[in-house]
Amino acid sequence: MNQYIFHPFVLPFVLGMAFVLTYCLVGLLRIIAQLPKDDRKQFWRSLVTPKTAWANIRDLFGDCLFHVKIWKRNPILGYMHSSIAFGWFMLIAIGHVMLFTLKPLEGVDVQGFERTFTNCYYPIFYKHFATETPVFAFLMDFFLIVIITGIFIAVVKKIYSGMVGVKRVTKFGFADNMIRFALWTIFPFRLVAEKTNIMAFWWLYSIDLMIFMCLLPFTRYMHIPTEALFILLRHAGLKAREPRKGFALAQIYSCPSCGLCIDACPMSVNDKMSDNTSAYFMKKLRNKDSEEAQRIAETCLMCGKCVMVCPVSIESCDIKFSQRAATPYNINSDHSYLDVISTEAQRSGEISVNNPHVLYFAGCMTQLTPKIMRAMKQIMEAAGEDYEFIDKDGGICCGRPMLLSGKTAEAKAMIEKNTELIKKSGAKKLVLSCPICYKVFKEEYHLEGIEIQHHTQYIDELIKSGKLQVDKGDVNYVYHDPCELGRAFGVYDEPREVIESVGNLRKAKSEKELSICCGGSLGSFNLTQQERDEITENSVNDLMFNHPDEIVTACPLCLKTFARKSPVQVQDIAEIVCEKLKK
Amino acid sequence: MDFGFCLSPSSHVKMDSVDLTTFNSLKETNPDINTCIACGSCTATCTAGNFTEMSFRRILLMLQRGKEEQAKKMIQKCMLCGKCTLVCPRGINIRKILLDITR
Amino acid sequence: MKENILIIGGGAAGMEAATQLQKLGQTPIIIEKSNALGGHVAQWDRLFPAFHPAKDVVEQMLANVKGVDVRMNTEVADIQRNENGFKAVLSDNTTIDAKAVVLATGFDLFNAERKQEYGYGIYNNVITSLELEKFFRTGKDERINNPKKIGFVHCVGARDVKVCNTYCSKVCCTTALKQACEMKEVFPDAEVYTFYMDLRMFGPGYEDLYLRTQKDFDVKCVRGRVCEVSEDMDGRLVIKAEDTLFGKPLKMTLDLLVLMCSMEKNKSIDAIQQKLGVANNSDGFMQIKDTYLGMNDTAKDGVFVAGTCTAPKSLPDTIAEARSVAVEVFNYINNR
Repeated sequence: MNQYIFHPFVLPFVLGMAFVLTYCLVGLLRIIAQLPKDDRKQFWRSLVTPKTAWANIRDLFGDCLFHVKIWKRNPILGYMHSSIAFGWFMLIAIGHVMLFTLKPLEGVDVQGFERTFTNCYYPIFYKHFATETPVFAFLMDFFLIVIITGIFIAVVKKIYSGMVGVKRVTKFGFADNMIRFALWTIFPFRLVAEKTNIMAFWWLYSIDLMIFMCLLPFTRYMHIPTEALFILLRHAGLKAREPRKGFALAQIYSCPSCGLCIDACPMSVNDKMSDNTSAYFMKKLRNKDSEEAQRIAETCLMCGKCVMVCPVSIESCDIKFSQRAATPYNINSDHSYLDVISTEAQRSGEISVNNPHVLYFAGCMTQLTPKIMRAMKQIMEAAGEDYEFIDKDGGICCGRPMLLSGKTAEAKAMIEKNTELIKKSGAKKLVLSCPICYKVFKEEYHLEGIEIQHHTQYIDELIKSGKLQVDKGDVNYVYHDPCELGRAFGVYDEPREVIESVGNLRKAKSEKELSICCGGSLGSFNLTQQERDEITENSVNDLMFNHPDEIVTACPLCLKTFARKSPVQVQDIAEIVCEKLKK
Repeated sequence: MDFGFCLSPSSHVKMDSVDLTTFNSLKETNPDINTCIACGSCTATCTAGNFTEMSFRRILLMLQRGKEEQAKKMIQKCMLCGKCTLVCPRGINIRKILLDITR
Repeated sequence: MKENILIIGGGAAGMEAATQLQKLGQTPIIIEKSNALGGHVAQWDRLFPAFHPAKDVVEQMLANVKGVDVRMNTEVADIQRNENGFKAVLSDNTTIDAKAVVLATGFDLFNAERKQEYGYGIYNNVITSLELEKFFRTGKDERINNPKKIGFVHCVGARDVKVCNTYCSKVCCTTALKQACEMKEVFPDAEVYTFYMDLRMFGPGYEDLYLRTQKDFDVKCVRGRVCEVSEDMDGRLVIKAEDTLFGKPLKMTLDLLVLMCSMEKNKSIDAIQQKLGVANNSDGFMQIKDTYLGMNDTAKDGVFVAGTCTAPKSLPDTIAEARSVAVEVFNYINNR
């Protein structure tokens, strides 16, 4: 080989590149092989479906290179990521374009294998071998400088995360720190090497690249190649079924441990609890630490905020569910008694045969907040509705808690029983007070011909249709979005409109999809009372940001949780409407 | 004194020979378990307890008296709704304990 | 030396402390925010364990306190420490110089609405222990309508992490049994149930009261905490509890439910307390210097405490503490 276009310093890079490409190829095949058969079919089909194909292209650029979602959350971090990712991409792309425009290479003409071999490192080290045209020289230098500004922000973020608007950053292990250091130094080395042509720096540059590539599969930077695959799989509409296989595996490796979910997580009120955030959950799964992963999965409140803020759109809650489902709890629930209930309920006349128009299912939690039930009753009376309370004397659980613990079959038994009871009533509408119930009724029940509404939506409808007359007072309310109503179903406007028709609405510091879990969530098994209290206090402070007179929520669990720690009165939305009913 | 025969087996809980392995290991991960005042709130509010003999208070006692099998049988009625945890005046994380027993 | 001593609170503790300090030759000044002396005791009908009329005790105390400077309808607006002791500005803009301050600010009754599952403020026939005393005093309460079945719930707002009060409120057990007996006196045909966890009959004659409750009044004590209250079609109350001794959940229909509300620290004094630098303990009551030998002392020199501002207490306990605080203050003034 002509020594003019070869120098031994390119070898570390070539080796690293060969390793990482092989690794990624094997990984790709493995993930695709692990997909259940149906999912795999769906995946292939999605690649050729125009709609998903377009979405794929859009997100591959928008997410992988620019990360539009980070820009939206935090422009400084957005710039940091884009400058490095896009800048590097441009260096490689322009380098390759150059490869074809600079033909032949400075008086050398190699062909065949040698040519291919040369091509793979030439764009990376070309300056040692050739001089480019001024336009290319400018472009290459420009993007190199752009990358270095990005790295500068990254260094600042590491030292004073507060300066870039981040409170808590992800804590890393040895390999992650090492590769980060390699990434930070690659570009300054390149700059020095290119400008001075000192051999030592070309070696350092190449070795740095090798370190980066060899560590890549074992660190968070694996997100670079994996995210592309994840985007394709996500657009194919797949769901995680097992905690560490197929689609879930793609998600695990796509997690860049960027830590945006750490500041978002309601548990990040102290250092110890912030270790339970999704970034660490994904890390534990990646490191095959299933014991810790299990612990975090059981500790999580399942509020879904991390999913909401995740720039990569990783469905960490789904993975946590599958992690829970993989645990052998020995509750093989015996629910044979459910049969007895339905007959008893009918005998005692709790399930009416009058075919009421509206069926109200309070749910177990609402039994502990009788004020909500009473308010609902008064509201339905005032609106002249034909209604019936289905579980006045205690009913069957909706099944959500069973699902939360990963017991799908057991939950099904309850769901079927409830479905039977509800269908028998002949009602046209089912109103629920508890967002936990609402979620499961919406997602798991098949109640054809019966409209399912949360009471916020129902009351909103009653007011708008004129059935319910209310007076507007001058109390300043702040509304807390229950996780399972807001983030899960986007029910943000109806409750706010209801509140504005009976009083003034003040904003909380974090609202709607960013609302902070009250801390009472049934999703978590492990959190202790004290830990929950800390979460609640933080959430209350957030709500009190604009000094409202009252906190309003739409979930019996949030209500009970806030009532313990709130400096002002906490009421359910039904209660405040009830207070303002026109006499 | 042992006469070598008896009319019927003793109905006493034999506290001298009770096997507390499960309870003790449970206590390590859930120190709250000792703080129960047996007020019965958990049982009274229990969704499953409306229709079955499910009672967390008794499950706890069963474990302390070495009736582990009986306790595990009772847990099968649980719906995991978490209402017990919500009402417990001692703030015991009951649902977690139930899951831990069956793990 | 004759010195001014500022006593904040004109309940049992404040009155008794003033009485004794006056006897010791000092000048106590009582600051009372309401329009009458007597505090919570004046709202009570009869006292346990012997059904002694509370009025008699209050009248006696009022007679004893004669001659003491009492500022009614007044609160301390500001207080500063100076080289001579304290300078207090009252809500009527008068100022008082005092050598020592006695905090006798007492308690607030737990707001039963905070325990929503018991239905206070929701169902008409759920009342508090204080409201029942008022009924005994006046014979009037439209919610009490010849009830046939009456229930008493112990530990409402006490021994309950869920309302952030983990302490025992001490007097409610005995009060519940006393009120249960009185209900039987008023409504002899009624069935009376109390729902308890532990019956803490800690004082002289209290166990005898328990015995009489069972023997003479046929009050039925059920061991279990009421956890849910709802209303049936006829507007009667349906309560749920576990009968822990029988080992089964229990459901019962009642005509009247009485909530034995716990004592909580009187929070209206918080601002002044902060100015004086007196901290609270983990139960939210004022912190005393020592459980055994410093029960009237705070961490701050010249600031003393007496009565239920430091913990739930019975009336005899409160009076004993008020007497001891008088001695403490007297010794403090005379540098003994």
